[in-house]
Amino acid sequence: MVLYSFYIFDRHSTSTYSNPAAIARSLSAPTPPPSSFSKTPRPASTSSTLSSTPAARAHASDSEKLIFGLVFSLRNMVHKLGGTDDTFLSYRTAEYKLHYYETPTRMKFVMLTDTKLNNLRPYLHQIWANLYVEYVVKNPLAPVEHPGGIGVANELFERALELFVSTALPA
Amino acid sequence: MQKLNSNDLLMLAGSFHGMHAITKQLCPNPPVPPAFSAPAANLAPSPFTHRPTGIEVLETSQFRMQCFQTITGIKFLLFTEPQQPNIDTTMKKIYELYADFVMKNPFYTVEMPIRCEKFDRALDGFIKLRG
Repeated sequence: MVLYSFYIFDRHSTSTYSNPAAIARSLSAPTPPPSSFSKTPRPASTSSTLSSTPAARAHASDSEKLIFGLVFSLRNMVHKLGGTDDTFLSYRTAEYKLHYYETPTRMKFVMLTDTKLNNLRPYLHQIWANLYVEYVVKNPLAPVEHPGGIGVANELFERALELFVSTALPA
Repeated sequence: MQKLNSNDLLMLAGSFHGMHAITKQLCPNPPVPPAFSAPAANLAPSPFTHRPTGIEVLETSQFRMQCFQTITGIKFLLFTEPQQPNIDTTMKKIYELYADFVMKNPFYTVEMPIRCEKFDRALDGFIKLRG
């Protein structure tokens, strides 16, 4: 499989974490095209060659906002059509697939992959339960809110996420 | 599925149109046009085939929405159960019915709401036959 990007949004619509390049390269599949929206919240990131240009960073935050707006309206549309207990799971185009998971606290986990994968919701749930809660929520130094990825972009979380993506996700 | 009035439906259709455009724009790997080759040189390049498509399938816990866009930009949305098989063929057949009973109807004005009794009947019959 190819993983294009991964985003976490908090309930204030700010992206708390987004990581297209770092985890995408750890996968076996043919190297994904260099994500034009490559932004890593950690300043001293190895993969920051793309994100260092202001234009690329602007583009990154643009797509973040687009994705947030998109999942937000899709979710509202699904609620309107299917009733409030219906949940939006994923959508697919001919080129990619977007997986979505929302926690009860309205944190949104969004993953863009290729189209061959089935639903990744259980995996996104695991990322939340086993990685996010473990390394970010239980971190006494992490703030409650994470504007711009403060606290979420810690090394333990990122390393665990990378490991999870490269081992646990279906190939 | 909730019953919606036509105002809500129009609103959803409008927002879906926008979302469809955004999903097109978000495409992380835009399809590349094939390299120039000798046999293809005789044909005019199609402007439609190498463009990212927007949403094709939307899955939720209770329904599944299939979106089929014709080359002329008309979108067909089909809402089914999550496990419904053969949606593609159903969609194709509906497109055929649309072409037969709506587009060939001399009294139909394009881009107006479809009020063709024959189309309704054919569609009903087709869906009942499959169900």
